[in-house]
Formats: sequence, structure tokens, C-alpha cells
Amino acid sequence: MTERLILQNVVKRYGDKTAVDGITLGVKEGEIYGLLGANGAGKTTTMRMVLGLIYPDEGSITYGGRPYGGDVQRLVGYLPEERGLYPKVKVSEQIVYLAKLRGMDGSEAEKNLKYWMNKFDAEEYYDKRIEELSKGNQQKMGFIAAVVHRPQILILDEAFSGLDPVNVELLKLAVKELRDEGASILFSTHRMEHVEELCRHITILDRSKTVVQGDIREIKSGFPREQILLKTSAAVAGLEAIPGVTGVEGDPEHYIVTISDEAAAVPVLTEAMRQSEVRHFEVKEPTLNQIFIRSVGERHE
Amino acid sequence: MNRLGTVIGFTFKNKVRTKSFLITTLLLALVMTIGIHVPFFIQLFQGDDTAGNKIGIAAQENTEIAQQIEDYVAELPDNDIEFVRMEAEDTAALNEQAQTQDLAGYLQIVTAPPAADGSAAFPQVSYISEGGSVPTDVQAVLQPALESAKTRFITEGALSDEQIAQLTTPVLLGASSYDETSGTGAAGAEEDKFNPMNFITVYVLMTLFFFSAMLTGNMIASEVTSEKSSRVMEILITSVSPLTQMFGKVIGVFLVGLLQIAVFGVTIAVNLMLPYNRDVLAGFDLDFSQMPYDVLVYGLIFYVLGYFLYALLYAAVGSIVSRTEDLGQAVTPLTMLSLAAFYIGIFSLNNTDSLLMKISSFVPFTSPTTMIARIGLGEIAFWEIAVSLVLLLASIFFFGWLSAKIYRTGVLMYGKRPSFKELRKAMKAYKI
Repeated sequence: MTERLILQNVVKRYGDKTAVDGITLGVKEGEIYGLLGANGAGKTTTMRMVLGLIYPDEGSITYGGRPYGGDVQRLVGYLPEERGLYPKVKVSEQIVYLAKLRGMDGSEAEKNLKYWMNKFDAEEYYDKRIEELSKGNQQKMGFIAAVVHRPQILILDEAFSGLDPVNVELLKLAVKELRDEGASILFSTHRMEHVEELCRHITILDRSKTVVQGDIREIKSGFPREQILLKTSAAVAGLEAIPGVTGVEGDPEHYIVTISDEAAAVPVLTEAMRQSEVRHFEVKEPTLNQIFIRSVGERHE
Repeated sequence: MNRLGTVIGFTFKNKVRTKSFLITTLLLALVMTIGIHVPFFIQLFQGDDTAGNKIGIAAQENTEIAQQIEDYVAELPDNDIEFVRMEAEDTAALNEQAQTQDLAGYLQIVTAPPAADGSAAFPQVSYISEGGSVPTDVQAVLQPALESAKTRFITEGALSDEQIAQLTTPVLLGASSYDETSGTGAAGAEEDKFNPMNFITVYVLMTLFFFSAMLTGNMIASEVTSEKSSRVMEILITSVSPLTQMFGKVIGVFLVGLLQIAVFGVTIAVNLMLPYNRDVLAGFDLDFSQMPYDVLVYGLIFYVLGYFLYALLYAAVGSIVSRTEDLGQAVTPLTMLSLAAFYIGIFSLNNTDSLLMKISSFVPFTSPTTMIARIGLGEIAFWEIAVSLVLLLASIFFFGWLSAKIYRTGVLMYGKRPSFKELRKAMKAYKI
């Protein structure tokens, strides 16, 4: 699969402050790409550059091989972090208007709108004004506004923030559907479990620099395993004394053992088996959350 | 172009449907209807008083003077005062008589004591009525009548009637321009300048400009600010170029303004067409066939161009403000500017050739009002109009370009209102 959205060595400076320092990434067709980073790391600036709101100082951004232009605008859909819709205008009217602005024909926009309204079980809001809807429903309408013109490139900035779990699932399904239809989706969030579920490739930004990039599975295997989940039938004592073990947490019979070296795993298991019956033993793969905190947090010290 | 149409349509539709628009339009139309009917109502109430135009004259032995007053008044064109001779001994009896005969009041002519040199003095005349004052229309008739009678009384027949008539007519101070006196200017056209329709047209165009620049300007600015604060802007600006967006908005709101003006125009026209109102207006000596079309056409050109100049700036100001509450303060300079344009024009209506008017008719922000005044009421060469128009057009292009830049930068800046320096820095940073 070819990469549709390509950022090459993109640099953006505000005065003497560098907001984005040489980011390079590519989003394939039918892929959700995770863009992670602490607040102020440069995510929003990157997205704004992709949207053509601001222009990069160096580097290039191409869309299906073309540079930014009027025709590219039609290919792109955008869900801003703070949903943007007219509070006092009817849902149907403004979504059709936004679709028309992106070059879609009115009747087709209407059809797509009905499709998504039906999908989100929100037909009753068709003639309501945005200010009359709950926050979650406003967000759904914002999402529909971003995708109603069937964009090839979709930018989702914190798409799931502030939604209840039921609606998060609903929106996740919708995002997956768009991915399966071949859209290239650039996705930013602070919720690592969403990234783990949806994204194949990620980039973690920290203070304008790329610190981690690549396939999630490869990234994970590249990080040392530091946790052991241990379940036993009776209490086990003295695990802290084993060399390489830095901490033991949890209730008796259910421990989380932190290790500084994977070599400590075998002595822990042997010790546990000596004292009790082992029901579960797992050297855990690092979670994305831990990777994020490690790669971003270490620099913060 | 297609997208521009979409923006215009959306802006227009949403603005027209708001309650505030409907209410203000209907309310103002109602106020206008009432305003137009005011002269009619006044006449209606006065109409009951026609019987009161009967005035009594208690002349006693001065019947000659009473006769002269009556003769003078009777010769006046469209005279509606009728005199009734009253014969009664004392004031109380006269008062009673005046009331029973339903008179507006009566003139009492009392012989004055002779002057120091023994010659007869002109009698004292007083107007006695229920209210104790002379109505202005009655005064306007009686004053010259009395003066004429007095002249006759003093000259005692030494002057002919014609001479007396000449004495009592006030001296007329004529006025005309150099061109007229030398016969070079189109004398016929110059005379037109002083017809009241010209004055009214200029006045209406100026007021119209001031109100539409202010009202629609504020409408545009608040529209842009609300788009920004609701963050629709971020989506809009990624879909359509800021220039398209801004012009779409400006034109859309302009059409709303035109619609409003059309509604008012129809309201006024319908009201004026009502037969009883037409009679009243005829009394004001207004003739709509005297409409100065050249002033109207120039006026509309300046109106539209001036509107765009202000509207673009209002849009730019709207884009740098993040919250509607801060908008009032931010648009103050523009409001001041339009106020200046309006007042310079209005206060110079009688003196359109002053230096101030000449200068301000070339300044793009004030020319839409002052130029109309100069074209309608003053002396102006065609090249002056042309230069002023070119300046106005050039400034529209310049400020349109600048506004688009500010707009593009402003919509991405949230938080407190940026200063010009910050704005420039941001423009540089965003590479706009």
C-alpha cells in the first residue's frame, strides 16, 4: 500500500522557538496513524500544517503526491479538538453547508448525512440546533461534519475526549469503517488504550522532537520487559531479596513484581515455585502508556 | 466562484431567519409608517379648528384701521381668516360675544393718547383670545396688515397704494454663483441644486450609508467572532480560502442589508401613495419628478464602495477578537470613523465648498458621505469625482488585501486581543 500523506523533515518555528523539529512520517491508505505527545509537544502545530492552516518553514507535505492546494482541501476532513459547529444553526443545514464548501453536491451530502445519522442513531437531531444537543451528541455531529464529504485524508484531534464509553465504541467503529474503506487517518489522543487498539504505526513527539516512531509491536519489543504478573495459591515472601527485583506490589497470592533486568524473571519463578503453587506467571510486555511515560517522562527530569 | 455563492447563500439565509432581524425590520417599518403619518395626523387634529379662523375686530371709533386690516388680509393669496366686526361696550361684553360666536380671538383697537407734538398716535392693537397668545399663522398675517395700516395712518395719504405696498415688502437678498452670473455654467442645472429633492436625496443617502455601515459592519464583525469562538472557523478555513470566506460573508450581509432597505423603501412608497398622504405632501411642495438622478446614481456607487471598505475592515476586526464581549471595544475606532464621516457630511450640508469638505471628499473613509453632499449640493468638477472614486477603489483593494491577511492570522489566535505588533509577528510566523 502506498503512503498517501507524507511529511518530510517538516520544521516549524515561531520566532526563536521551534514548535516542530524535523518530523517525518507517512500515512498509508487504510491506515490509522497515531500521533502522540505531551501537551505542547507540537501535535496541534503538526496537524495545522497538514491542514494547510499554517505553512512549514522547512520540509514538505504531500497529499497523494501533490502539494497543498485548493483541490487537496476537498480530500481532507478535520475534526478539531474543540468541536466547531454553529450553535444556532440546524444540524442538517450546517453539515450540508460544510460538505458543499468541500465541493460536494448538495443532494449527495444530504444522502451521506442521513447515512451517518442513522449509523449514530441520531435521526431525531436532524432538525435540531447544535446548542440544543448534549455535549456527546454535539461531538457526534462534529464527527459527521468531518466525514460527510467522504475524505481520503482524515485528521482527528482528540476525537474521543469527553465521550461516554458507549459513544466511544460507536465512534471507534465508525473510524474503523472509514479505515476499511481506504481513508488515511491521522489520529491524536492522550488515551493510549485507543492507540493500541486502533493504530499500527505511531509517532511520539516530545518538545517538538520525534522521540519514538514506528510499528507499535516493534516498539514494544524494543523496550525491556519490566513487569512480572505472578499468581500463586499461597503467600510468597522474600521476592524483594532476589537480585534485579526493584519492587513488589499487590496482595498476597497476586503480585506485580518490577524488575530492572529480564534475567531476574527465572529466579523469581523458581523462588515462587519453591514456596507455593504457581497459577499464573507472565513477563509482561510494556504497555504503550509505560513506553510513553518512559520516553517523554525521562526527558522531563 | 461556486463556493463563494455557497457562503453568500448560507450567510444570507441564516441572517434573514434570525428573530432579531425580523423584529428590527418590522419595528423600523412600523416606526416609518407612523412617522410618515405624523403630518396627516397633525392636519387631522387641526382640521377641527377651521371654525376658529374667525377673528373678531372690536374697532370702536377706529373703523378705518379695521377696514384697512380687513382689506389687506382679504387680498392675500390663500387666506382663510375671516373677520367679524364686534360692537360692544366693554371688554367683558366683548369676551362673552367672542365666546358665543365661537371666535378664535378678537383684535381690540384702542385709540392711543396723542404724541408729545400733538399729532395723533397709531392706536394700540391687542389680540385677545382664550389662550392669551397669538397663533403663529395668525401673527404672520396680522403683523404686515398692521404695519401697512400704520404706514397709511402716518403718511395720511401722502403716498400711493403702490408705494405703501413697496414699503411694506421686505428687501430680498438674492444669491447666485459666479458661473451663473457669467453665464458659463449650465444655469438650468444649477438651479436644480436648490430644489428640496436634492437636499433630501443627499440627506437620505448619507444617513443610509452611516446606518448600514454601522449596523451591517457590526453584524459582520460579530458573525466572524462567533464563528471563531465556536471554532467553526477552523473547519471553514480548511475548506475555503479566507478571501472567499470573507467576501462571501460581506456580500451575504450586504444582501441582507439591501433586503432591509428594500422593505423600508416599499413601506415608505406605499405609505406615500396613500391618497390622503399625497395631499399632505403636496402641501410641502415636494415633487418626486424632480428627483436628481445623477446624484442618486453617484450616491449609490459611493454607497456600495464605501460599504465594502468598512465591511472588510469590520470583518478583519471581528477575526482578531476571540470573544463577543470584547468586540465592542475593538470596533470602536471604526465606529468613530463612520461617525466622523456622517457628521462632517451632515454639518456641512449648507457649506459644501469648505476646505474640510474638499479634503474629506478625497479621503476614502469619509468620501462616501462628503462626496455625495458635494455632488448634490455644491460645485464639483468631474475629475474630482473620478479621483475620489479611484482613491476609494484603491483603498478597497489595499484594505481588502490587508484584511484577508489579518483575517487569516486572527482566526488562529485565541486568548486576549493581540496588539498590532503581535499580529505582525504572528503573520510572519504563519508565513501569511
